Amino acid sequence: MKRSIIRWPGLAVFAGFVLLLVAISWLFLDTIIKVTLEHTMGRLNGAEVNIERVEHRWVPLSLTVAGVQVTDPNAPQNNRVQIGEASADISPTELVLGRTLIEQLTMTGVRVNQPRESEGEVYVLPDKEDMQGWANQSWDKLTMSLPSVDEIVSQVDLRTEKVIEEAKTAYEQQEQEVKAAQEALPSEEKIKEYEQKIKQITEGKVEGLGDIAARKKALDELKESIRADKEAVSNFRDEVKQAKDVVQQQISELKNAPGNDIDRIKSFFSMDGSGLQNVTGLLLGDKAREWSKYVLLAYEQLGPMLARSDNSATVEPVRGEGQRISFADDNAPPEFLIKKARTEFMVGGTVIDVDWQNITHQHNLLGQPTTYQARADNSDLWSAFNLNGEMSLTNLGIDARQQWQLKGAQLQNLGLSDSSELSARILSSLLDSDGTVLVRENKLDGKAMVRMLNLDLEAEGSSKLTSAIAGALKQLQRLDITTNIGGDIQSPSLNFESDLDNQLGDLLTQSAMGEADEKLAKIKADLTAKVSDQLGGQQGLLENLTQWDNESGDKSEQLEALLKAKIEDSLKDKLKGRIFGGS
Amino acid sequence: MLTILAKLLKALNSETSAWALALAVVLGMFIGITPLWRIHNLIIILAALIFRVNLSLFIVSFGVFSGIAYLLDPWLHSLGLSLLEASSWQGIYEAMYATALGRLSMFNHTITMGSFVIALIAAPIVAAISYWVIANYRKRIQAKIMKLRVVQVIRGSRFWQIYTDLRG
Repeated sequence: MKRSIIRWPGLAVFAGFVLLLVAISWLFLDTIIKVTLEHTMGRLNGAEVNIERVEHRWVPLSLTVAGVQVTDPNAPQNNRVQIGEASADISPTELVLGRTLIEQLTMTGVRVNQPRESEGEVYVLPDKEDMQGWANQSWDKLTMSLPSVDEIVSQVDLRTEKVIEEAKTAYEQQEQEVKAAQEALPSEEKIKEYEQKIKQITEGKVEGLGDIAARKKALDELKESIRADKEAVSNFRDEVKQAKDVVQQQISELKNAPGNDIDRIKSFFSMDGSGLQNVTGLLLGDKAREWSKYVLLAYEQLGPMLARSDNSATVEPVRGEGQRISFADDNAPPEFLIKKARTEFMVGGTVIDVDWQNITHQHNLLGQPTTYQARADNSDLWSAFNLNGEMSLTNLGIDARQQWQLKGAQLQNLGLSDSSELSARILSSLLDSDGTVLVRENKLDGKAMVRMLNLDLEAEGSSKLTSAIAGALKQLQRLDITTNIGGDIQSPSLNFESDLDNQLGDLLTQSAMGEADEKLAKIKADLTAKVSDQLGGQQGLLENLTQWDNESGDKSEQLEALLKAKIEDSLKDKLKGRIFGGS
Repeated sequence: MLTILAKLLKALNSETSAWALALAVVLGMFIGITPLWRIHNLIIILAALIFRVNLSLFIVSFGVFSGIAYLLDPWLHSLGLSLLEASSWQGIYEAMYATALGRLSMFNHTITMGSFVIALIAAPIVAAISYWVIANYRKRIQAKIMKLRVVQVIRGSRFWQIYTDLRG
């Protein structure tokens, strides 16, 4: 008998097989979802994702995921995000149509940058350049050094010696020139002789008009000689005046030389902060990056994951897994949409509620961006905080904007740096911050202001420089930091600008000067002693010059008086006496 | 394992039609070469169970073609991707994607698409080759093999005992 082509018992086996599949799925659904989520999220994240527990409920269809740990690929010993519990209501009708529509997602106990119990596995290695840039940020790289007084003195061109040499040369030259002019001066005897001759010419018996004419001629000749001597006196006085000016200037330069040299040494101590290699970044970089993980959470965490979910280029396809291509038309609803979500972030014991709307990776289908708002006023940690933003994925990448304000955040006992070179800790401070971040085609562009008031810093350094920095940090009262946010959305770069480097430069200068004061005083005393020898000579010359000036002034007056002598009047008188019977 | 091998030999040496055995190889190829958790594989399993298909050959074929599929994965992905990106087919894909059945079939998955198309193309070839091999085995090889010394040794082994038990 020919057997039938249909094997009816096979149908029963098939039914049994299907039932077995359903039963296994039913029994192990939570485990299957857990493994699937860990695998999918891990792939999107680029590093291991662990889920502690998954629970589902059929009516209404909902899913609860607890203890989610998302490893940070840059630091696998840390979780970039940790979620206490997430529960979602899922639309079953949409699920049948292959779409995931979650009406409400609630996440509690969200924390960022938490240490893991064991290092997480990294699937996609972060950019090496990024890691290198991070590693370069080290106190060891500080190139600045604090110079000693001796080092500086050896480098500084001290000018006191030169000034002394110049003064000596000028002294000799002026003395020589003045003395040369002095030799041409008429002596006292010569002046007396002039007086006597004038007396003889202008006095005595007049013998007539011929005698008067002879006397006049003799007087003119004498005056000629007197004028020549007066010219010599005048030249001498000019020389003395010039020498006095030079000597006075030399004295002034000599007196100032030690002080100028000390100022020159001091100027070598002054530090403009350029060698400090951005202490702001070194000191506050790690903490600012940690804070930025909260501020940029939407971009750093959700953005890349959404981007990766829709773009195979950012995630290396795993062999054998293939790729799902979406053929949703422009009018179709998004394949994945969380209409509303509430996430409770834990920041130092304070809960920040963030309300999200329209989380999807297909904003073009939804026609709306993902929006989020966070507000937490009068908490234990700050007086006011609010943050809002929106984000959408386009064909060219992520477009987004975000702004925030934080007022009166109280920082207490906050570790800043714990390196072997320098340990620093904020004992207390008040912090205000505001900022805006824009994202265009995955590129970040933003600026954040951080103002720290009433700063009380504790710091300790191990090297001479870091000890000086630590000393300077302790004196800081206020610090304004501008953080420039840039780079790619998946690897944001933060750049810090503040007046800290300049403040530190000034404070380090003061600190270095304090140490150098005693030594500088000794250097000044040595220089002053050297100057005082030369100064004595210069002042002696100046006194002589003054005396010579006065003496030559007298001579000049005497000669001037002699030049005023007139023969005509005396002769007239004599002649009048003879005519009218006088002597 | 020995049981499956024995069953395989039994099938080859039985009166079962060579085309029926070739169909088992083809169905095994479909399930082996395409990703396992797909709706079409459920239909293939149903077909293998409900029709009088030799299950041993079906399982062996599944195993062999799973290995081949693993080797061809990257190529199947590329093929599927190029098929799914073919502009002239976009309208059909969009229409399929809009239906629940289309989504369930996971046709939009690159390896699924690539491997399914390859399985479809290979099906008549694999069927013909399988038929030819089985027919020639029965006609020429079976008798010669039975005379080989190694087969004589096997016939005295536990494996032969299983084989004969199966034959009844």
